[in-house]
Amino acid sequence: MIAASISQDGSSKKKILISSLLFMGLGHILYLKQYVKGILYALIEVLFLLFTPTVYKKIVGLITLGDPHPELPIKQRDHSMFMMIDGILILAVVFIFILLYYLSVQNALSDYKDYCATGIKAKNKNIFAELGNKSFPIVGLMPMILLVLFFVVVPLIFSACVAFTNYSAPKNIPPNNTVDWVGLDNFRALFGGDATWSGALGRVATWTLVWAFFATLTCYAGGMIMAVILQESKIKIKPFFRSIFILPYAVPTVVSMLVWQNLLNGSFGTVNRSLIALGFLDKSTVIPWLSDVTLARFVVILINLWAGFPYFMLLTMGTMTSISNEQYEAAGMDGCTKTQAFRYITLPQVLYQTMPLIIMSFTYNINNFGAIFFLTGGNPIVADSTITSARGTDIMVTWIYKLTITLLKYNYASVLAVCIFVVLAPFAIYNFRRTKSYKEGEL
Amino acid sequence: MVETQFDKKMKRERIISKINTGLVIIFLILVTLIVLYPLVYLVSAAFSPGNSISSLNIIPFGDGFTIEHYRRLFRETNYLNWFKNTLIIATGTAFSTVAVCAIAAYVFSRFRFPFKKGMMLLLLILQIFPSFVGMVAIYVILLRIGGLDTLWGMILIYTAGNVPYNTWLVKSYVDSVPRSLDEAARIDGASNARTYFQIILPLTKPIIVFLAISSFTGPWMEYIFSKMILRSNENQTLALGLFSFVTEKKNEFTTFCAGALLVAIPFVFFFTLTQKMLVTSLSAGALKE
Repeated sequence: MIAASISQDGSSKKKILISSLLFMGLGHILYLKQYVKGILYALIEVLFLLFTPTVYKKIVGLITLGDPHPELPIKQRDHSMFMMIDGILILAVVFIFILLYYLSVQNALSDYKDYCATGIKAKNKNIFAELGNKSFPIVGLMPMILLVLFFVVVPLIFSACVAFTNYSAPKNIPPNNTVDWVGLDNFRALFGGDATWSGALGRVATWTLVWAFFATLTCYAGGMIMAVILQESKIKIKPFFRSIFILPYAVPTVVSMLVWQNLLNGSFGTVNRSLIALGFLDKSTVIPWLSDVTLARFVVILINLWAGFPYFMLLTMGTMTSISNEQYEAAGMDGCTKTQAFRYITLPQVLYQTMPLIIMSFTYNINNFGAIFFLTGGNPIVADSTITSARGTDIMVTWIYKLTITLLKYNYASVLAVCIFVVLAPFAIYNFRRTKSYKEGEL
Repeated sequence: MVETQFDKKMKRERIISKINTGLVIIFLILVTLIVLYPLVYLVSAAFSPGNSISSLNIIPFGDGFTIEHYRRLFRETNYLNWFKNTLIIATGTAFSTVAVCAIAAYVFSRFRFPFKKGMMLLLLILQIFPSFVGMVAIYVILLRIGGLDTLWGMILIYTAGNVPYNTWLVKSYVDSVPRSLDEAARIDGASNARTYFQIILPLTKPIIVFLAISSFTGPWMEYIFSKMILRSNENQTLALGLFSFVTEKKNEFTTFCAGALLVAIPFVFFFTLTQKMLVTSLSAGALKE
């Protein structure tokens, strides 16, 4: 056995580092005499080494995505998608293993540092006490890292990978057939290669941006107007109105959208029937609220205003109350009118403070599945709908959903997801750089 | 002479302000009517005879009052079972979201470690995606760990979906708790865990409560994942059950409204009661300037 002695002046750092790098936990066992911890670490590595063949096989599977074996019964054929997901999962496991390895080396070094400082080899140190103190950050983060890694990151990476395969109905749906990597073919098809599809993409992408812009703008403006009116007016029953105005926010979107959908139904919805009863409409000329493309788009934005203005109303009210009264008093002394006070004091400050939230709301609206799906379901049908499944009011996310569920064109759905990512990631980064903690250099 | 002119001016201003108040009230009443419009029909449909929207009287409660739909929900459907399943999922999601996010947020707020910046940014980017973008993979992963058609599988998915945004939310709140407090505790020899549970946790109670409630309300009307994961009859949730009333094949709008109303009422209570907390957590929460 190697002479397992270390000096206390910090000069044995290298020994610890090398031994810990050599095998997980070796440094703990040899030099620091922390047998329990060292053996636990070593066990992790032994386990990992035992599984190396599987890891290798799965990674090969990820690269090849299986070979077609039409001669075999379906159950025994290579299932490309399972192979891909397993491969990505294994990569995630390898990532966790490397993380643990890194942590074990760090831990050995820091224990050595403690030993240098105190001269006590903490061999009987209670592992639980350590978990509650020194390792608390790691223990605290682990559940989050595992959850996010396996249920958010892996699925999204999978989704991104599918964009580079031909995973789609009817020809390439496992287990009957295999799926292959096809490079940028899907991107080419959607961006000009296939007229129908690229036309649909252009239409849906434009409408998504228009929708997100107006949905955010109308809700923001509407919310602010309501907040200002409620705040400035001298009516006594203000709280009463406020409580009513948050109702759309309180009722689950799904429920309110479905109710609207039924009320706005062209032939038997209550809106049209009421208009007929009141004499504004003739039975033969009902308004096609949700079945005419242009009108349906207007209606979608209007109904979204109904559902979304309370959020910004509450937000603006919160910001307005934080503006100090002194500013208004000073302005009043200088002969400022109420309109001017609003224009030069309230508006700039509210805008400044809610800016990140406007951006967040814009990104939220780009992905606002519920507002579209449960109100119109994407309807009405347009020229290319039968082939592409994208309808008149479909936005990118609802189209992704339809491509996945009804058309089984997973590859195109993934290309769309990648597009959303490319467009939205800069917004997220911009918001990130505006946060207080980022600015203060704490991160 | 000067005084009377002043008086006139005052009078005029008073009249103008009265007209203004009148206009404001008219406007507010108008908005109230629009806001209440669909909600009135939701309530009236829940208690009106008939099935579909076409048979619904255009005057709310115009056809009288019935609790037939509730009788149907409780006697002929599995409403109570749907309710129980949803309650289990919602409670589980609330607990696990709080447990995972609260501690992670504390670590992010108070410790320095490698890749911290990258991880925070990653969480921020991940939260912009609706979880269903990766639903094919989620389905297979659940299949691998035996979580298909189970309630805990749903809890796992919902919790994972909640984590990125809410970790940020709680982290900004923990940031606002003075560091001197936990430093003092540490000097007194308290471990990190103890500092967290005895000092930070009590001080961040408002945001924890908010997080618990908001992640509790989330699953009640979630449809996409429930539909994909929960196949068997005894595992159906409220969203699945209620939606089956308004499919393209059948339109039992009134029964849907009856069931949805029972869910919406607690929501409305929660939102009205927590208005203040909502405002602060919405604005001060995730990305405060």
